[in-house]
Amino acid sequence: MTSWAPVEYTDVAELRGPLIVVRGVRGVGWDEYASIELETGQRRHGLVLEADRDLAVVQVFEGTAGLRAEGIRVAFAGCPLRIPVGAGWLGRVCDGRGRPLDGGPPVFGTADAAVTGFPLNPTRREPPSEPVLTGVSAIDALTTLVRGQKIAVFSSGGLPHLELAAQIAAQAHTDGTPFSVVFAAIGLTHADAATVRDTLEERSAAGELTLLLNLADDPVIERVLTPRLALTVAEHLAFVLGRHVLVVLADMTSYCEALREVSSARGEIPARRAYPGYLYSDLASLYERCGRVPGLPGSVTVLPVLTMPAGDITHPVPDLTGYITEGQILLTRDVPVYPHIDPLSSLSRMMRAGVGPGRTRPEHMDLAAQILAALARARQAAELAEIVGEGALGDTDRRYLAMADAFTRRLLGQRRDEARSLDETFARAWKVVSVLPRRELSMLSPAALDAGYREGLDAGHREET
Amino acid sequence: MTGITDALAPVSTALLRRARLDADALLDAAGDDAARTLAAARRTAQDMIDEARESGTAEARARADAVRVRAGRHARGIELAARREVLLELRRRAVAAVLALRDDPCYPRLVERLRELARESGGADLIVREHPDGGVVGEGRGLRVDCSLGALAGRAVDALGAEAERLWAR
Repeated sequence: MTSWAPVEYTDVAELRGPLIVVRGVRGVGWDEYASIELETGQRRHGLVLEADRDLAVVQVFEGTAGLRAEGIRVAFAGCPLRIPVGAGWLGRVCDGRGRPLDGGPPVFGTADAAVTGFPLNPTRREPPSEPVLTGVSAIDALTTLVRGQKIAVFSSGGLPHLELAAQIAAQAHTDGTPFSVVFAAIGLTHADAATVRDTLEERSAAGELTLLLNLADDPVIERVLTPRLALTVAEHLAFVLGRHVLVVLADMTSYCEALREVSSARGEIPARRAYPGYLYSDLASLYERCGRVPGLPGSVTVLPVLTMPAGDITHPVPDLTGYITEGQILLTRDVPVYPHIDPLSSLSRMMRAGVGPGRTRPEHMDLAAQILAALARARQAAELAEIVGEGALGDTDRRYLAMADAFTRRLLGQRRDEARSLDETFARAWKVVSVLPRRELSMLSPAALDAGYREGLDAGHREET
Repeated sequence: MTGITDALAPVSTALLRRARLDADALLDAAGDDAARTLAAARRTAQDMIDEARESGTAEARARADAVRVRAGRHARGIELAARREVLLELRRRAVAAVLALRDDPCYPRLVERLRELARESGGADLIVREHPDGGVVGEGRGLRVDCSLGALAGRAVDALGAEAERLWAR
């Protein structure tokens, strides 16, 4: 509701770094949204980090450079940051706080909602089901995303996780049902942001995507808000407007570093690697906002992308994320081709609920299990070959090596702009398993084998190799 | 001499035949080998052509996409900028209309009502003065309440919310 005569506080006790300490305030609370007007009429915004009696510490998004304590007027909103929500977000490109970057007017909505939000009530949550198809073979075939699921992409510096996230955001669909993507780019360089924007331009123009860009040189407090803003927009699109929404949060490691900085500014006691002790619950408060609600048609699926500092999977950020999410897609340098997904370290815990008859293909689960089992056997054979040489391996083991090679070339390897249909992915998957002799495919039913197995490919492949 | 030659004739014939057979076999093998090499070379060439065609098509598609994306973004940018301009114009007109209230016979009553509003919000001890551009501004110890006409007009436009979209709705 509009306050026609808002009170502005003018008694600034201190300006320190990005903080303003305001004296004489009444009824101001933690996390409240503040707007700061300068002598010049220019306006900045901030959040209350700390409130104690008549003192409020405000962190200014844009910093306090150029401010004079005497000329500042601070008004408090009376509540945490709220944003308008609705279909108006679709097709827009905004910064991490929801201000337009596309040259347009502010985003309007039919209602407004607090960006802090709430995790879904566990008693009002329906288990994830039905797939979100990404057009990326390695994901759709082996670690299928399921509507309402939270699944993380674990990567290391230098790997193309951002390209993969953007490709998924550009290609994902739910087979004809209304679908939207909210892409929150967190702490990106300008070059990366431009790449992401180019990749997503078409989908954005089609009014199916909201892009929130928080850049590396944007204030850290804004970075803490960005994923919350994305989820707030997504929740309304899903649970009020009935769309299936995929929320891509990249890169959550930048988010956690911002949280560490804000926590330090608040003077909180640091925990593991100086991250705040509440990092786990803070991450859970974001990831648990995904899901499905009984009686409502939409769903929110969350795909956080995070880089493991120094490739360390035990680092607090991937470690705690792994506890919350329902599976992970791991990128590794050991896989030589894009998208560098390591199939044996990747897992979608909800996959069973999203695939199978009436959803993808009847044999999907068995085929995925067969491929993974064969890749595991191929890995053992490769280890053996390192010791005794490939020539000393038995014919079956050599077939497994050939199958792993075919998997990398035919199924896993994919161009960055290539959207593969489910049919094509399955055709490729069958070609890959057909490199093995039929007797080795014990996880697939005879009926599935009759329909999909390509007789003769095994021998052909052996000759080729 | 002739006798020896005649005597060896069957041997030389046999040797010659064997040599011819060997040569034929070698020729056949060489021919097969050449055919295989040629076929392999043709396959490799065809693969290379296919790959080159595929990568050329992909590159051309990528370039065309890039041009289309740039054009699309430009067009969308123009549309969005026009919307923003319309909204700014609405704000300008709203401020002008509200400032015109100063010439309205009811203006003194409005100022009185604004004084009450400022005091309700900032406290009864607020010192309220008239703003040079119309409306009032209240100031107290460490606080300020701005009820100037310009600020009120701005708040009114902000309060429109999604209704503002009617400006460009088709």
